[in-house]
Amino acid sequence: MSDAAGLPRRVSGRPPASSGHRRGAQPNGMWGMALFLCSEVTVFGSLFGTYYYLDFRVRHWPPDGIAAPKVTLAAISTAIIMLTVPTMYAAVRSARRGGRHGALGWVLLSMLLQAAFLGLQVAIFRSDLMQFSPRGSAYGSIYFTLLAAHDAHVIIGLALDIGVLWNLWRHGVERYWLLGVRGLALYWYVIDVLAVIVLFVTLTPSL
Amino acid sequence: MATTIEPAAQRYVDELAAVWAERKGVLGWLTTVDHKRIGIMYFFTSLAMFACGGVEAMLIRTQLIGPNGHVLSPAAYDEVFTMHGITMIFLFVIPMTTGAFGNYLLPLMIGARDMAFPRMNALSYWIYLGSGIFMYFALATGHAPNAGWFDYVPLASKQYDPGNNIDFYGYGLIFNGIASTMTSINIIVTVFKLRAPGMSLNRMPLFCYAFIAASVALLFALPVLSLACVFLELDRELGFQFYVAAKGGDPLLWQNLFWIFGHPEVYIIILPAFGIATAIIPTFTERKMVFFPLVALSEILVAFLGFGVWVHHMFTVGFATATYIYYAAASLIITIPSAVQLFAWITTILTGTPRFKTPMLWIIGFIVYFILGGLSGITLAAIPFDTQVHDSYYVVAHFHLVIFGAAVFPILGGMYFWFPKLTGRMYHERLGKLSFWLTFLGTFVLFMPMHIVGILGMPRRNYTYPAHVGWTLLNFIETIGGYITAAGLVLVVLNLAHSMRHGEPSGNDPWGGDTLEWSTTSPPPPYNYPVIPTVSSPYAMWDTEDRERDNRRLARGEGLLPVGHRTPTSTAQDADIDEIASMPSSSPWPPLVALSLFGVFAMLLLDHYWIVVGFLAVLLLTVLGWHQGAAAHARAHEVVPAPETGTPHE
Amino acid sequence: MRKRSWWRPRAWRFGAAALVCIGLTGCSRQSILSDHSKVTHDIGLLWWWMLGAAVIVFFGAVLLLVVAFLKRRVPGLPILGEREPVAQGMVLVFGIAVPLVALVVLFAFSDVYLENVTAAPAADTTSMTIDVIGHQWWWEVRYDGGRAITANEIHIPVRTRVNVVVTTADVIHSFWVPALNGKIDMIPGRRNHELLDASQPGVYRGQCSQYCGLQHAHMAFLVYAQPMAKFRAWLANQERPAINPTGAAAIRGKADFMNDQCASCHLIAGTQAQGYIGPALTHLATRSTLASNTIPNTPTWLARWIHDPQAIKPGDRMPDLGIPPRQIRDIVAYLDELK
Repeated sequence: MSDAAGLPRRVSGRPPASSGHRRGAQPNGMWGMALFLCSEVTVFGSLFGTYYYLDFRVRHWPPDGIAAPKVTLAAISTAIIMLTVPTMYAAVRSARRGGRHGALGWVLLSMLLQAAFLGLQVAIFRSDLMQFSPRGSAYGSIYFTLLAAHDAHVIIGLALDIGVLWNLWRHGVERYWLLGVRGLALYWYVIDVLAVIVLFVTLTPSL
Repeated sequence: MATTIEPAAQRYVDELAAVWAERKGVLGWLTTVDHKRIGIMYFFTSLAMFACGGVEAMLIRTQLIGPNGHVLSPAAYDEVFTMHGITMIFLFVIPMTTGAFGNYLLPLMIGARDMAFPRMNALSYWIYLGSGIFMYFALATGHAPNAGWFDYVPLASKQYDPGNNIDFYGYGLIFNGIASTMTSINIIVTVFKLRAPGMSLNRMPLFCYAFIAASVALLFALPVLSLACVFLELDRELGFQFYVAAKGGDPLLWQNLFWIFGHPEVYIIILPAFGIATAIIPTFTERKMVFFPLVALSEILVAFLGFGVWVHHMFTVGFATATYIYYAAASLIITIPSAVQLFAWITTILTGTPRFKTPMLWIIGFIVYFILGGLSGITLAAIPFDTQVHDSYYVVAHFHLVIFGAAVFPILGGMYFWFPKLTGRMYHERLGKLSFWLTFLGTFVLFMPMHIVGILGMPRRNYTYPAHVGWTLLNFIETIGGYITAAGLVLVVLNLAHSMRHGEPSGNDPWGGDTLEWSTTSPPPPYNYPVIPTVSSPYAMWDTEDRERDNRRLARGEGLLPVGHRTPTSTAQDADIDEIASMPSSSPWPPLVALSLFGVFAMLLLDHYWIVVGFLAVLLLTVLGWHQGAAAHARAHEVVPAPETGTPHE
Repeated sequence: MRKRSWWRPRAWRFGAAALVCIGLTGCSRQSILSDHSKVTHDIGLLWWWMLGAAVIVFFGAVLLLVVAFLKRRVPGLPILGEREPVAQGMVLVFGIAVPLVALVVLFAFSDVYLENVTAAPAADTTSMTIDVIGHQWWWEVRYDGGRAITANEIHIPVRTRVNVVVTTADVIHSFWVPALNGKIDMIPGRRNHELLDASQPGVYRGQCSQYCGLQHAHMAFLVYAQPMAKFRAWLANQERPAINPTGAAAIRGKADFMNDQCASCHLIAGTQAQGYIGPALTHLATRSTLASNTIPNTPTWLARWIHDPQAIKPGDRMPDLGIPPRQIRDIVAYLDELK
C-alpha cells in the first residue's frame, strides 16, 4: 500500500523520526560538503606526507642556516581559530531553532576570530619570508606551501562566511540558508582541525 | 515488462511531460541540467577525444612500421605519444565511463529522475570540455606536453623543458581534475541518496556498486595528482625546489605522488567496465549473477586495495628490497578480487543460457583480454622479472590489454547494448558482429607481439629503432594490427551513426533486460519514470509483480509528483523515503562558471598573474549568481518532508 | 622417461622458444632471454615457468567459454546440474583458492628467494667498481675513481662480480643491459648500483630505458666482457694520456681540434682539451661505435657526424659547428690515431 502522495511507505520497519528533528538522512547538500572536504583533507594529507618525506631524506631539517620555527605566535593563532568550533556549533543550534539574530551573531563572531587567525598567520608568514625563501630549499618550499594552502582555505572560508551572513540578514533562516549554515560549520570544523595538524607538522623541528 | 501507459493515466503523464519539458535549441543544450542530455554531451565529446587519441596512436604505429622512420620528427613524436596517453586517460576513458555512462544510466537504474546535483553535473561537463580545449590548444600551437603522460621530473622541469608545454600539462590536469571530482561527488550522493524507496543496498544493481567504488577512489586519488601538479608549477614558474635534488628536494617525490594517484586511476578506469559487464551478462545469459554479494564486495575491495600498491611502478628506482617485497605482495593480493569477479562472470555464462549478440560478444572479448592483461600484470609483480621488462614494450602490451582490451571493450559493448534505449532504434546486428571480430582480431595482432618485442629488449617511448636488432618484423605486424583495430572501431561508429537514422524501431526492451531503465520508453522521457518504481531485488525488470503494481499506480495517478521538478530522496542504506526534493530545471550559471575558470587557467598559463585575479573575481561573481539563483529556486519550491507514519512496505 | 621429462622446465622452455622463434627473423641482439649471466639465467627460468602457468590458466578459461558456447541452450553445468551452491563453489575455488595458492608460490619464489639473489650487491661482494653517469644522450664511464674516463662503451672482465654505480648529470636515465641484468634507474641525487657478472665473453648491447628527451631512442651502449688479461690491457691503455699524432694531417687536425670549439666540450687527456660537456675522446679510436652506438666508428661516419650531427641525432647537444670539409678530414685523421 502507498500513502496519500502515492509513495511507498517505510521499508525498514524502523519507527519514523520525531517531527521537528531531522529524520534518518542527512540532506544531499551536507553529503556534498562532506565529500568535498574528503577531497581537501586528502590534499592536506599529501602535503603532510610530502613534508615528512622530504624531512626523512635529509640529516638536517631545516637545512643549516634556517632557524626552527617559533612556537608561541603560531600556537596562539591556532588556539584562536579553534574557538570557532564552539561558535559555529552555536550558530547551527541557533539556526535550527529559527533564530536569525543568534545565527547571525555567532557566524559574525566566528568570522572575526577567523580573521584574527589569518592576520596572525600573515604576520608569521612575512616574518619567515624575511629569514628564508621558498626558492632556497625544499624545506622552504614545503613550509610556505603548506601554510599558504591552509591560509587559502581560511580565505575561502571567510568569503563563504560573508555569503552566509548576507543571506541570513536578507532572507532569515530559510531552508536553503539553514543548510548553508550547517555546511559552513562542517567546513570550519575540518579547517580548524587541519589548523592544529598544520601547526604540529610545521613545528616538528621545534618539538 | 515495461510500464505501459493506459488512456486513463495519460493525463497524469501529460502533466509531468509539461513540467519536465526541456528547452529547445542550442540555448536549451547550453543551459540544460538534465542528466540524460549531459550524458549525451559527455558521450559525443569523449568519443571525439577517442578519435583524436586514435589518430595519435596511428601516427605512432606508422612511425614505427619500420626502422628509422621519418613520419614524425623526434619532437613531434614526443608530443604525439604524450598527448595520446593524456587524451585516452583524462579526456576519453574517465569522462566516457563516469560522465557519459554514469550520468545517463545511474538515475535510470536507481529509479530516480535526475542526479543529486544537476547544476554541478552541467558544470562538470563544461569544465571537462574546457580542459579538452585547453590541452588541444597546446597541440594546435605546437606546444603540447612532451614528457610522457606521467611527466617525470627533471625532464619536465623548467631547465630541461623551458617552453610552456609542461605548463599545459600541469594546469590542464588540475583543471580537468575539478570536473572529475565534481562527477564523483555527484555519483556518490546520487547512488546513496536518490535510490527509489525500497531499493536497499542489497537490491541495488551491481553496475551501481562499480560506479560507487570508482567514484570513491577518484575522490581520494585526484587530489594527490593535483597537488603534484601544483608543486610542479611552483617549481617551474616560481623557482621552488620540491623536485630539485641539489636543494633537498627529490625527483622521486613526483613519482611517488603521481603513482599514488596513478595506480588507483587504473582501477578507476576498469571498475565502470566491470559495472557494464555485470549489466550485460545477466541480460544475455537470462540468469542472475552468481554470488552477487561477493562480486559487489570484490568491486569495492579492488578500489580500496588499489591505493596500497603504487610502488610497483618504481621497482627499478633503487628502494630497499624489503620495501619492494611488501608492494609486490600487495600487488599480488589485488589479483584475488579480480579473479573472483572473473570467475563469477564465467560461471554465470557457463550456467546460464547465453545469447551471443553483439553486446555479449564484446563482453566475451573483454573477459579474454582481461585474463591476458591480468596474467601479464601478475608476471610484472615478480620483481626480478620486472627489472628486465619495466619500461619496455612488455609493459606497453600489459596496460593496453587491460585498458583497451578490458576497459574499452565493455564501453563499446555498452554502446551497442544501450543504443536502442537511447535512440529507440536497433543497430545492424551483422555489422555489429563484424565490427567486434575486426576489433578483437586487430587488438590481438597489435598488442600480443608487443610482449615478445619487449622481451627482446625494445624500450618504450622510442621514436625509432635501428634495423638488425631483431624488432623490425614484430613492429610491422603490430602496425598492421593497429590498422585492423582502427577499421573495426570505425565500423562501430558507422554502424551506430547509420542506425540512428535508419535502424528498425527497437521498442522499450529489446533484450529482456534486468534493470529499471528497460521499463521506460526508448528514449526515456525527460522525467524518466511517471511513477517512482517499486523495487524488491537487483533485477527489477524481472520482478513482474512490481512492474504490474507500478502500472496500476500509474492508472490511479499515484506516485507521480507532478508539481514542479520533483524526485524523492531516501536514506543511504535501506532507502526509506526521506523527503521530496525539488530539482532545478535549467540554469545559465554552469557554462558561465566554467568559462571564468577557463580564463583563470589560461591566464595562469600565460603568466598574466594580475589578470588571473580578475578572472577569479569573475568566478566569484558567477558562483554568487548561482547560489542566489539556487536559493530563489528553493524558496519558490517548498520541499515536502516525507509522510511521518506508515507501515512497512508490502 | 617421457613422463618424467614432461614437467621439467627445459622441455617447456624449448617448446615455447620454438614457438617464439617461428615468429621472428632470427633472435634479438638485446633479448632478456639471452642468458649470459646467472642473474638473467634465473630470471629467464622464472619467465618460462610463469609463461607455462599463464598458458594453462588462459586456455583453461577459454575452454570454459567454449563449453559455455557449445551448451548454450541448456542451463546449468554438465554433470553437476543447476544447483546454485555448485556455481558458487566454482567461484570460490577458481576465484580465491587456486589463485591464492598460485600467487603464494609465485611470491615466495620470485619476490622472496629470487629477489634476494638478484638485488643490488653488497659492496664487499664485488671485485671492482665502475661509475656510469647518464647524460642527455650519452654514457660517461669512469674506472678507478676517474683514472680512466671513456664513453658509451664499458669493458668488464668475464666471470667477475663488477659493481656498477650509476647516477645522472641531468635527467633520469636507466641503465639496462638485458643480457646481463635487469635495469637500474639513474636519478639525480642518488647513487644506485647493480651487479654485472658475465658468464661468457662477448659483446652485449644496452640501452637507456627511461624516457629522457629527444634522443632517448639513440642512447645505447656496448658492454664488452673480456678475459681478465685482455681487460687489464684495455684498462691500462685507457688510463694513459692521449697519443701524440704522427701523421701530417693528424697534426693539423689536433691543432684544429684545439682551436675550434671541440676542446671546450670534449676531454682528451694530456692535452688542452679538458671539456666535460660531451664524451671523452682520449682513446676514441679504440671504440667500435659513435654517438652512443648509433653509427659505426669509421672515418666516413665520423666525418659525417662532425659535419652535421643534427642530421643523425636531431636535437642532440652537439651543434653544427660549420667546420670546413678540409679541417674535418684532418680532425678525423687525428681522432683516428687516438688508440
